[in-house]
Amino acid sequence: MTNLVQKETVYTDTWQTLMDVITRAASFDKNRKLPLVLTSLAELPEENFDGPAISFIHGPPGRNIALAIGLRAALPDTPMLLIMNADAVTLGMNHLIHAVRRNMGMTLLILRSEVTDAIALSPVKRTNWRSFGIQDSIEKRATPLELATSLEAASVSRGSIDNMEQLSELVNDAMNTSGFSMIGVTSDKGLPLGVLSRANLPEYFDSYREWAEVLRRSIANKNEVRAEAAEEKPTKQLRDIPRHEVRIAGIGGQGVKLAGSVLNIAAGTHEGLWTTQRGEYGSATRGGPSLVEVVAGSKRISYPRTDNPDVLVLLNQNSANQFADSVKPTGQTIVDADHVKSVPKGAIAVPIVRLSIENTGKPIAAGVVSLGCIAAVSDVVSLESLKKSIAQKLPAKLVIKNIAALEAGYTATGKMLKGNYNG
Amino acid sequence: MSKFEVMYGNQAIAEGAIKAGCRFYAGYPITPSTEVAEILSDRLPEVGGVFVQMEDEIASMGAIIGASLGGMKSATATSGPGFSLMQENLGYAVGSEVPCVIINVQRVGPSTGLPTKAAQGDIMQARWGTHGDHPIIALSPGSVQDCYDLTIKAFNFSEKYRTPVIFLADALVSSLEEKIELADDDVEIFDRRKPAESPEDYKAFAFTKGGVVPLATFGEGYRYHVTGLLHDEKGYPTEDSEIVSQWWDHMYSKIEDNLDDILLYEEIELDDADIALVAYGGTAMAATRAVSLAREKGIKLGLLKLQTIWPFPEERVRKLAKDLNNIIVPELNFGQIRSEVERLAAGQSNVTGINKADGNQITPDEILTTIQKLMVAGS
Repeated sequence: MTNLVQKETVYTDTWQTLMDVITRAASFDKNRKLPLVLTSLAELPEENFDGPAISFIHGPPGRNIALAIGLRAALPDTPMLLIMNADAVTLGMNHLIHAVRRNMGMTLLILRSEVTDAIALSPVKRTNWRSFGIQDSIEKRATPLELATSLEAASVSRGSIDNMEQLSELVNDAMNTSGFSMIGVTSDKGLPLGVLSRANLPEYFDSYREWAEVLRRSIANKNEVRAEAAEEKPTKQLRDIPRHEVRIAGIGGQGVKLAGSVLNIAAGTHEGLWTTQRGEYGSATRGGPSLVEVVAGSKRISYPRTDNPDVLVLLNQNSANQFADSVKPTGQTIVDADHVKSVPKGAIAVPIVRLSIENTGKPIAAGVVSLGCIAAVSDVVSLESLKKSIAQKLPAKLVIKNIAALEAGYTATGKMLKGNYNG
Repeated sequence: MSKFEVMYGNQAIAEGAIKAGCRFYAGYPITPSTEVAEILSDRLPEVGGVFVQMEDEIASMGAIIGASLGGMKSATATSGPGFSLMQENLGYAVGSEVPCVIINVQRVGPSTGLPTKAAQGDIMQARWGTHGDHPIIALSPGSVQDCYDLTIKAFNFSEKYRTPVIFLADALVSSLEEKIELADDDVEIFDRRKPAESPEDYKAFAFTKGGVVPLATFGEGYRYHVTGLLHDEKGYPTEDSEIVSQWWDHMYSKIEDNLDDILLYEEIELDDADIALVAYGGTAMAATRAVSLAREKGIKLGLLKLQTIWPFPEERVRKLAKDLNNIIVPELNFGQIRSEVERLAAGQSNVTGINKADGNQITPDEILTTIQKLMVAGS
């Protein structure tokens, strides 16, 4: 009981001193905005506090540092003054390290740092807890001032709770310092007081805003291009197309994923249809199964899977084994002539991968060749729309070769349909 | 003239956020939500906003609360593991009535689970993840169009009712690419208003029934106290049970008195239905398809597609249970919404679940098979 009474007394004095320090430090510079105080101490401020219009945020223990980061981003001219206890080095330790490391603009007072330094788990000695003595003797100290110094905090200082004037000046100095400042508040008479270290590095959000300003100026023109692309009218009048399912299945490295997106944009943006596109992709290096599904129609597409495709493109034997039966009775299957050995009944065999290598030097355009094949057998998407879509989706240097690959697929499939393809 | 654009679900969420006025994003990347962060890291600096990658999801949630108190509409995006870390500060935002949007693109859990696979397992976590009783709003998009439209709604609700809004997407819609219609300039955007009262009379946490007062931006002369402790109308902590009761009335009535505005759902072929599906999120896509396929076979199937998950559309579901003998709830969990439907059906309707959390999607065929079994059992 004695301990508790003593603790209450010490704390009451501390709250009054802190309120005096805040109001005094805030009043040093009339041109500066009043600070916003974030604290983990429910005792601050007293309800009848009638000083300047300083607002208090009483955040969850340790989390005030995170809250202050968002506040600093939103209110660049308002000093963020954090008053924390041991929670700064326990729950808040991770936030603390990163806020200092990023030099985010705020001033953190850690109370009774000589106590919190010694006992990271609790702001007061709980001598009657049996395990506490041993824990205290095993643990190393959490040393926030040394930590902040090593992370090049903008300023690190120590003030005494018994020297209100000096502490107020340290707080004022910290609020005028750009970046993260830490002040250890002690009642230990033996420790050195005043500014312990300084580093002159740019404040995080000041640097961010400066960079963003330059970025906005440099991309002003690009933004107009973005708006125009969205407004582009479909080249064709909306036709009455019932739900039309396309599936392309192969392996990673055949450009299947890109093909799905090119087809989706061609049908959606350039043919004026409603579309969806989804996929499951293997990596190019590992070559796992890769498939895309595009559904298009003149009504909104409610379900993006192609359980019964109208057009099915199979680029390898495994895909053929898995999906050959799924094609709609009225649908069309196209298989790679070299990689699918057992050609399903009614399917057209086109050397898709070979055409990709012939036109681009790599198998990666097999997906684009497939789109040419699809344009040849389906009236949902035209070769012209696919070309526009390729020009939109691919880097300029690859467009010509890919359009050649697209046309090769289209021509080869057309010949097969007429029955006179000779490879 | 309408504008259309082909985009992925995560992209539509990011673009919806920009359209809604989101200007601050803090987050930690996690599959399958990462593209939301990636796109906002591009887009926010373009529109005068700020993007920060934080040290973890606890800090992300804290930072968006701070930015919102500073007057910026703010959001974070994550998936299950990160959503678990956000619960502490989420509760703080609920209790201190700070608007913000938390996007959770759900994947299979618990723990790191199946990182790339879709699930709908965080429904109850969205409702009760943070401790203590509390009202909450959660929306779930059933298409890429929904990703865009409902993200705008999420920001509007959060500002209008000064509450965090949880956006429960899933990997089915987030990775889907779809042509969508973009909002024109007439779309409703609820911006933060200035308080009508003078700073002397301003009560930031006024116990208004069925509404909230505008949150003043710090630095504009208004002074108030923000705390996670239960508080009076000025924000000062209190243990006075009368004031605490008034606080609860205010907190619940601001949501419950506005259900007409908050409860969003679509009714698909429900008017003459014999059997109803109740579905949401990515699973609603298969459910919609199942309705078309069933109708082709002459089965009168309808769908109640939920867009608002919390608060739950209790009256609508009660009526559904009264009208129909069979309700089927397909979902990628083991019955989190089904249990709500069962509670409301109160024995008046037979409620059947189709449930999985193995990374696979529920297909229209599975739904039709379940219906056929029910029809055989019923005949």
